[in-house]
Amino acid sequence: MNEIRIKSLARVEGHGNITVQFAKNKVKEVNLNIPEGPRLFETLVIGKTPEEVVNIVPRICAICSVSHRYSAIRALERALEMKETKATNMLRTLMHYGEMIESHALHAFVLALPDFVGYPSAIAMVDKFAPQVLKALKLKKFGNYIMEVVTARWTHGENPTVGGFGSAPTRQQLLDIKKQAEALIPDAEELVELVRNLHYPTSMEDGMIFMCLKPPTEKYGFIGDTVLISTGEEHPIEKYKELTNERVVGHSTAKRCRYNDKPFVVGALARMNLLGERLHGKSADCFKRCYSLSWIRNPLYGNLAQAIELLFCLEQTLKLVDELLKREKTLEAETSIQKPSIKTGKNVGAVEAPRGTLYHYYELSRGMVTNANMVIPTTQNLDAMENHIRIAAQNLISNIGEGPSQDKRKDLELTLEMIVRSYDPCISCSVHVVELGK
Amino acid sequence: MPIKPKVGFYNLSGCSGCLLTIINCEDAILDIFNGGEVVSFLMAQSGNIEKDLDIAFLDGSVTTDEQEEFLKELRQRTKKVVCLGICSSYGGVQAMENEKGTWPKRFKKVYGAKPFVVVKPFESRPVDAFIPVDYYLPGCPIDADQFLYNYSRLLRGLPVDAPKTPVCLECKWHEHECLLLKNIMCLGSVTAAGCKARCPSVKMPCVGCFGPADEGNLTSEFNLLKEKKYTFAEIERKLRLFGGIKFIKNFKAVWKKVTK
Repeated sequence: MNEIRIKSLARVEGHGNITVQFAKNKVKEVNLNIPEGPRLFETLVIGKTPEEVVNIVPRICAICSVSHRYSAIRALERALEMKETKATNMLRTLMHYGEMIESHALHAFVLALPDFVGYPSAIAMVDKFAPQVLKALKLKKFGNYIMEVVTARWTHGENPTVGGFGSAPTRQQLLDIKKQAEALIPDAEELVELVRNLHYPTSMEDGMIFMCLKPPTEKYGFIGDTVLISTGEEHPIEKYKELTNERVVGHSTAKRCRYNDKPFVVGALARMNLLGERLHGKSADCFKRCYSLSWIRNPLYGNLAQAIELLFCLEQTLKLVDELLKREKTLEAETSIQKPSIKTGKNVGAVEAPRGTLYHYYELSRGMVTNANMVIPTTQNLDAMENHIRIAAQNLISNIGEGPSQDKRKDLELTLEMIVRSYDPCISCSVHVVELGK
Repeated sequence: MPIKPKVGFYNLSGCSGCLLTIINCEDAILDIFNGGEVVSFLMAQSGNIEKDLDIAFLDGSVTTDEQEEFLKELRQRTKKVVCLGICSSYGGVQAMENEKGTWPKRFKKVYGAKPFVVVKPFESRPVDAFIPVDYYLPGCPIDADQFLYNYSRLLRGLPVDAPKTPVCLECKWHEHECLLLKNIMCLGSVTAAGCKARCPSVKMPCVGCFGPADEGNLTSEFNLLKEKKYTFAEIERKLRLFGGIKFIKNFKAVWKKVTK
């Protein structure tokens, strides 16, 4: 039996290894192994108040910290029968755009792009691609700026909580966001073109099932209480357990998910495949120009989907800030923290994190959490990742043979790494989040 | 050209927020990679090489035997070890239930009775429970400006310079309204400064995410909170969130003194 082992995947968040075992040019076993250390978050939130839960859960993962906070807030407010005001919803949407912009710029341009152009990092790319790298960093910085303004910090800002915000942004800050978004739109368009024109390997292609939240309006968006599936089905998020079917596997501290016993995919590629027709403006033009049938078979197009979503977020930020400016005088009052009128209840809440659907579930009794569950996007994608790794390995393995052809082996390893990276995995997130027995 | 110090950035068990904060220094990232020779930074680059280091930065706490072994090996080949954030410094949020003896039960609740084939896990501990640490830069996550200032100091062979004062001092400088006066449990008086008093700046109480301040007055904070009718259980819960095992060691004794 021969083995390809990629230890400590680089340019991803957290720790992951890939192992492919093969004999006589046939792939026998594929493992995406996650040795991440356990932190037992699901036990940490027990016996805590809703506000404390909102302090704790963003620490599951820094890159999706706003999405974790937002998903927990949605679940807790649904459990306690609270209704967000229009203005609070708008500020939450703005912070969510901030995270999408930052996270997508980081992933698509800083972590994934170097593979396609043959560099070990975006920093090394400066050598030949300095203007593009600097534009990517400017976009990333803008995402962080939005989060700083709305949440009070780039990562783990404590301003958003259950019931509203401690404070609302000032007029000057909103105007500043608007000015920057306007200036960055051409840069984002340029980077979409850059990613579109890359050479995409095809050795891993296979049909995929996609899932994402269905936005409550006819528009493209990142929240909803219904799950849309590429099979044509729709289900309420309350059925999240049946939709994801988490299970434990021996080689990983992360759980695995399947739908109807098949791997499925969440994230930017899923959202674009399911909701792309809802886009307007420049992002719609880009989508039409870029979309092809490869998008339903090749996970590497996830990078391009993220680039287009980033452009969408910039366009939407402009509109949203205009709306917020109209409410400027009353914004602070309209977004101030509302207290729940009941203390006992249970419910699920979900948002689209940059890398896919994120579910939080809480049970509360007399103001304290008694049970919790979270289903994380990367967990949902792991089986699909392994499937694409298996197919690519099988297609490329005959190139290697049993001999020591190092170049071909390196090509294969790079392809496998690119597959995993294209899912934008957040490995810290994917570990150790399961429901507790009571 | 002078020889650049060799630098490594590592992640143990945590959210990677401290390393992300470094990658988030968009205006300085090229200088960070030019100022030192970054030989290992798994989250940012491939082609990492593990060799002798001048400075190692650690994000995350220690929760597996694999990490413990790695730390011992790293210490031998590294001149200065720097803890980034409260996970590596104090155990992090994942240490909030430490020293209650509940870990085995909690672990079993999450993972079931199945044996763990990947690594041998244990209760979250700070890095200095396993190897000597030279410097600490706390925060959840660290503050970018504080990192950049200290990164350039370290590259020049100078020690880390982190505030010993509490958040209250920074808060007063910014002239924010005191939340304790409004009966809101704010941990600013016992929490290390360095965050620019971000939470009070948006009228939210300090949750203690920079960990305990060397010069924080726990007795006085407890007296104040007791006056405001907060119970020991409530205060303990809040302090444990980010204080890790450092707070737990002495706050019961202080509370006893206060309630005597």
